[in-house]
Amino acid sequence: MSHIFTALPQVLVDGLTLGAIYAVVALGYTMVYGILELINFAHGEVFMTGAFIGTGLLLSLGMFGIDMPAWITLILILIMTALLTGLLGIGIERLAYRPLRKAPKLIPLISAIGISFILQDLVRFVAEMKTGNYIVTGTTLFEGKFTIPFSSIIGSFQNATIKTNTIILIGITIVIMILLDIFVNRTKWGTAMRAVAQDQETASLMSINVNKVISLTFFIGSAIGGATGFLFAQQYATIDPYIGFILGLKAFTAAVLGGIGNIRGAMFGGLMLGVLEVFAAANLSTLTGGVLGSEYKDVFAFAILILVLIFKPEGLFGKSVKEKV
Amino acid sequence: MSLLQIKGLTKQFGGLTAVNQVDISIRPKSITAIIGPNGAGKTTLFNLITGIYKPDKGSISLAGTSLLNRKPNQIAGLGIARTFQNIRLFKEMTALENILVGMHNHLTSNLFGTLFRLPRVRLEEQNAAKHAYQLLETVHLADKCNELSKNLSYGEQRRLEIARALATKPKILFLDEPAAGMNPKETKELTDLITQIRNDFDLTIILIEHDMKLVMKISEEIIVLDYGQRIASGNPDEIRTNPRVIEAYLGKGAVS
Amino acid sequence: MIRMDKWIDTFQKNRTSQFIVLGLFILVSSASVYFLERSVTAFLLLLGSLLLLHYTHLTNRTKWIVGLLLLVVIIPLATSGGTSQQDYMEVAVQTGIYVAMALGLNIVVGFAGLLDLGFVAFFAIGAYTYGIFASPQATQLFHSDFFPLAGTWFWPFILIGGFMAAIFGILLGIPVLRVKGDYLAIVTLGFGEIIRIVFNNMDKPVNITNGAQGLSQIQQPEIFGFTFSLASQFYYIVIVILLVIIIGVQRLEHSKLGRSWKAIREDEIAAQSMGIPLVKTKLWAFALGASFSGMMGVVFSAKNMFVDPSSFTLIESITILVMVILGGMGSIPGVILGAAVISVLNLQILTEVTNFLTQNISIPDTLSPTKMQRLIFGVILVLIAVYRPKGLITAKAKQYDPAKLAEQPISDK
Repeated sequence: MSHIFTALPQVLVDGLTLGAIYAVVALGYTMVYGILELINFAHGEVFMTGAFIGTGLLLSLGMFGIDMPAWITLILILIMTALLTGLLGIGIERLAYRPLRKAPKLIPLISAIGISFILQDLVRFVAEMKTGNYIVTGTTLFEGKFTIPFSSIIGSFQNATIKTNTIILIGITIVIMILLDIFVNRTKWGTAMRAVAQDQETASLMSINVNKVISLTFFIGSAIGGATGFLFAQQYATIDPYIGFILGLKAFTAAVLGGIGNIRGAMFGGLMLGVLEVFAAANLSTLTGGVLGSEYKDVFAFAILILVLIFKPEGLFGKSVKEKV
Repeated sequence: MSLLQIKGLTKQFGGLTAVNQVDISIRPKSITAIIGPNGAGKTTLFNLITGIYKPDKGSISLAGTSLLNRKPNQIAGLGIARTFQNIRLFKEMTALENILVGMHNHLTSNLFGTLFRLPRVRLEEQNAAKHAYQLLETVHLADKCNELSKNLSYGEQRRLEIARALATKPKILFLDEPAAGMNPKETKELTDLITQIRNDFDLTIILIEHDMKLVMKISEEIIVLDYGQRIASGNPDEIRTNPRVIEAYLGKGAVS
Repeated sequence: MIRMDKWIDTFQKNRTSQFIVLGLFILVSSASVYFLERSVTAFLLLLGSLLLLHYTHLTNRTKWIVGLLLLVVIIPLATSGGTSQQDYMEVAVQTGIYVAMALGLNIVVGFAGLLDLGFVAFFAIGAYTYGIFASPQATQLFHSDFFPLAGTWFWPFILIGGFMAAIFGILLGIPVLRVKGDYLAIVTLGFGEIIRIVFNNMDKPVNITNGAQGLSQIQQPEIFGFTFSLASQFYYIVIVILLVIIIGVQRLEHSKLGRSWKAIREDEIAAQSMGIPLVKTKLWAFALGASFSGMMGVVFSAKNMFVDPSSFTLIESITILVMVILGGMGSIPGVILGAAVISVLNLQILTEVTNFLTQNISIPDTLSPTKMQRLIFGVILVLIAVYRPKGLITAKAKQYDPAKLAEQPISDK
């Protein structure tokens, strides 16, 4: 049992890394849900597409022998990936959701699943054409590794290692979250977004272009989701077209945990889920006396989702909404 | 002897008290109207009685049976039926099927009987369809029996909702703005229909309505709500001249 | 042109001529299946005669008789002509299994309006229920000579498998059904994955499912000393179960329970106000829908003599959903059509097209149509959602005869 405690620093580092990814992807779910009350099932796939676009750009830069300082490459690729996935998000909304705004709720959900599948297969197709395998391993921009001396703080802690990539990932996701928070709460477009989320009709009467706001929401959600995809690829090196589905599901869990529609809640939910999951993966076996192994970590995440949805569907920070009768 | 007894009923949404310490007592076979300005808590009151919302305080009892802590379907089973302000028909079902759904509690068929199509179940289904048709005749919709309810006109939908509520064989029928959106001719027909079903089905009727002509014509008792509180009750003549009611509708100073 | 219209008009009303045309069609297509060596086109045409039958104006009775004749006699006979009978029958058996599952999911999604993305879990429950007890796995578990059960146990196990799936449907349903609307889709998806992961890992601490290796040497069905082993023999088992299921759902559709499902789908609050208990009614949908899957799960494991968790992935759940959506939510003939189209597409057409392409023009393996299943499903889902949300055959409401309704009710006392 004692090693649970001693390994805690590493669990925390790994958990926060995964959690930061969940948090940013969760933002995409929560923003769209806040505005359209729609679970954008395809969002996990946008994240995955971002991972492939980013990795593809990096590989082709290498192929053309373009040599830049690593941090310029990183920023350039992040911006390009964000732009492309942002546009992809707008396209998805136009094609699969906008025609269905008045349809029964089941229908847009179905087209969302459809889009998910299309993206998975298109990405698989391109990846296989280019590399011969749909599982792609990219090159890493930053190789370094650090040791954080937790043992010097509390004697029984083990030290934790952290990759340069991880520091960058956590840093950038924090910047994204702060910028988004400022955007939504302080700018004119952010206000328009919140207005549309409250009441589309009234917002349109206030001469807010609802369609534009919805497109913008999809653009931002998808852009940051896609960019995070690239950071994910950098962090874990190997990607395949099917990473988006389960990750998307977990990010959605994070969004629900924080109260769907609530942006700060989604950030917190993501970090919390990440830490819980890594903790479970590391310690489930010890805690259950070997009955449940780390294979059950996904079960653990789903169990959280189901428990929250059943007992506190408004999430930890959401307000409960009564249906109008 | 009152059929429906409500005491001290209170419901809050966040900081807003939608229904505040309301007492109501309804005599059997009466027609009661609940009126009041928008946002006075009328529909909330209906939702509390029919079990869609849970009250914070107070009691509701139907013929001595408490309705508190019961689900809407159980309350329906006890003899309370309702229509909705924004029409809630089963859109993709026909007019006749809508009524058959209303008969739910009075059909006895179980899974076994359905799967083996027992003679008892077949007879029950045939009779149910015939009864449903009679109800459609009552609300003058017999010729629309096979029409999907979403394809009916607005006035027809309102009447179908009443027939569907009648199918539950209620003791009390709650009508939430039955005349909303109707033209004067339709409203006139509706007024007659309400009186007629009260007599034919031995019903107690409670309605929310903004059309004062209709209210004054058919109700025996009127209850006025304002800001969630009962500010007046009495027969139409008493309400017409009550200064608090006039104030609630026209604002302070209108009386003096 | 006018004369043509008239001719079509008479044809539409004339049952005899429809009957003759249908008969000719069946004759020609079954003859070509019989004489041509492995012609997918001919086989599809033969199956298409069932669809044609649906669109004729023949009486229900005639439709049933012709349909049964086609399924029980003509199709098995026509495919027995060449060497590829077992291939055809394999496709037919798989299709039948999918049709049953799609009809089950249709109760949940189509009638009750509850989007279930983990439906294949119930198929897995059925398959494992029979698989565990009819394979050497049971000997390990119970240390008794009684196990593995003999093939004669297959028959009661069809019901037991259905029952187990129904129980699990209810167990999952009790917590899950408190969740509303589109959240339900996510939760059921999670549950589907949980079931698969659990089956994949239940080889320890006690070995129940044999984990990722799966269960093998599952007993084949046996009756009066006859063992079912070929696809053409399983075909009849599937047809019988399927017929029972079709008659069952048809009776349910316009019953008190069926109307309650649709009422809940249309408007939960109004349905409750009419006296319908929400949770109980939804649980019935879950349980009955699941039981169809469970029954076919038993057939599946007995036919393959093997089960492992890889047969029960999310893509299987989505496949069944695509069938329901394509065919038309809530429409029994539609769902049957949808399931048949998708299974035949998956099992035959894609493979055939791939073979054709690789033989004639060299295409990269990546492009092979068998691999593009997800793309095809995705496109179908989006197109149907946007352009035809009610599916290929729209669900029809029951039409009553006003003249009969106007009669006095018969007293049943």
